[in-house]
Amino acid sequence: MTSDQTTLKRPEERLRRSSGPDQTTPTRRGDQYRWSALGFIAPGVLLVAVLLYLPLLWTTFLSLTEYNGLGDPEWVGFENYVEMLDDPAFLGSVLNTLLWVAGTLLVPVGIGLGVALLTWNLKGGIWLRLPFLIPYALSGIGVGVIWSFILSGDGALDQALAAFGVDDTPRWLVDAPLNTVVMILATAWQGVGVNALLFTIGLQSIPKEPLEAARVDGANGLRLFRSILWPMLRPLTAVVVGLSIVASLKTFDIVQGMTKGGPGRASETLALTMYKETFVNSEYGLGSAIAVFLTVVTLVASILYLRRQLSTKHGV
Amino acid sequence: MSRIVRTTVLAVLGALWLLPVYLLFVNAAKAPETFTSKESWMPTDFSLFANMAEAVRLSGLAESAASTLLYAVVSPAIAVVVGAAAGFAIVALRLRHGFAWFVAIFGGTVFPLQMILLPLFDAYSRVGLFDSRLGMIVVYTAISIPFSAFVMRNFFTGIAHSVFEAAVLDGASTWRIFYRVYLPMASSALVAVFILQATFIWNDFLLGLVLSQSDTVRPIVTSLAGMQSTYGGAQMSTVLAGGLLVSLPTVVLFLFTQQFFARGLALGQY
Repeated sequence: MTSDQTTLKRPEERLRRSSGPDQTTPTRRGDQYRWSALGFIAPGVLLVAVLLYLPLLWTTFLSLTEYNGLGDPEWVGFENYVEMLDDPAFLGSVLNTLLWVAGTLLVPVGIGLGVALLTWNLKGGIWLRLPFLIPYALSGIGVGVIWSFILSGDGALDQALAAFGVDDTPRWLVDAPLNTVVMILATAWQGVGVNALLFTIGLQSIPKEPLEAARVDGANGLRLFRSILWPMLRPLTAVVVGLSIVASLKTFDIVQGMTKGGPGRASETLALTMYKETFVNSEYGLGSAIAVFLTVVTLVASILYLRRQLSTKHGV
Repeated sequence: MSRIVRTTVLAVLGALWLLPVYLLFVNAAKAPETFTSKESWMPTDFSLFANMAEAVRLSGLAESAASTLLYAVVSPAIAVVVGAAAGFAIVALRLRHGFAWFVAIFGGTVFPLQMILLPLFDAYSRVGLFDSRLGMIVVYTAISIPFSAFVMRNFFTGIAHSVFEAAVLDGASTWRIFYRVYLPMASSALVAVFILQATFIWNDFLLGLVLSQSDTVRPIVTSLAGMQSTYGGAQMSTVLAGGLLVSLPTVVLFLFTQQFFARGLALGQY
């Protein structure tokens, strides 16, 4: 865009000359299109307001009521929240969700960074990255179908282990918290590629000069990473980590696809507990309270990277 | 590290990554008669297409696929234009308090879907949008707008304002400037956002689960989940073939449009 800077002034001057002296201060010009601008922004604002914000407010209201879909919601204050915090299933769900957050930070982000570093400036790197990208565009349910099959009793994994003489395998999807761990690994299988892609973009945007200088000074390997690459990747890392935390807090599809939160309620995440309380048990108030709790946690986590996102002038 | 070590490590890790894909193909291709859950690693025969056809027959995947294609094309198409219009209003028309408007639209994306599911279900049931294609298109459009507005605003910020002023001098109306000047200039960003959102919609499970129930309206991934929990045992190969069928469009789309994805991701810092 630098080449445009030089031409930026000229049309403005022309405008000034053609339309008299009192027309052209920036604020006045902004006002000139006020109605037109409101017209352009209206469809987006309306759709988002009606389909996202109104329901959001309604859920917040419902969380303070007793309601099962019939009759009218009955105001109960914070009773649902008290009930929620008293429920051992909810606490288990919180712990599982924390496990998801920690696991998705460690495995897919870590391996993603590793793959990006290994393929960086490597001949054929694009092709070596491809296997990791294939699972990325799968749906959570698709991932669940594949991994449920692999992890079933005497399934593909057990057969492979048996070939190495390991016969006493755990019941991967039944034993808790192991089932949550293997589901995190299945998600990692899917998520490494996109993290690798993001980190690759980050690595490619690092200016060449400091790298060359560091190389001349004899830095390479771990030292190069610690002193140059890591600091320069840090802004991007904040985004990847933020996205990863927010996405893992919302984990639903893969758990619903693989264990349905079971056995019992052993592998439920917050998103799943909310779904079950609302749409299986018709506890609308309690379900809404869990949704509000999940939202507050997600918002706090989002601040980490949203602040950066919103202040970005323009990308790339 | 030397190039050889790096290549080797990546090749081994990559091979490991492809094993589940291999298992999916091999077992989805086994005829129900030859399929056994005890022998997963060896290919036996090739009945992939028969299994896919059976999967389509069993759970009405064909109707789901047609509806899902409709959602995945129409909703992101509307959303990119609506998002671009919002970006245009803020950046080119310099809407007053533009940043506040922008935050209002973008804020629609930061909370979890759980927060809107129940009211949507409730309201959709009351106004007759539950289990309707129109209802699905509307909700997918609304969900796609915040990200679209976010990327398009970023993109338009990179266009010099003199472009707008020059068009005004030529006597163009704001609407004309929008669709004859700004939209064409943003085509690559529009395509990137469209592809990202289409993939998201094709892969959606939760909204389909809550807001639809019939085979004709239900999105394809939700149908697949229903199929997975209904059929097992000897029909496992059919379920796997169904999974493969449902996943192919987005995987192929993604692999062929990687640079768009990368661009879209970078544009949105997403």
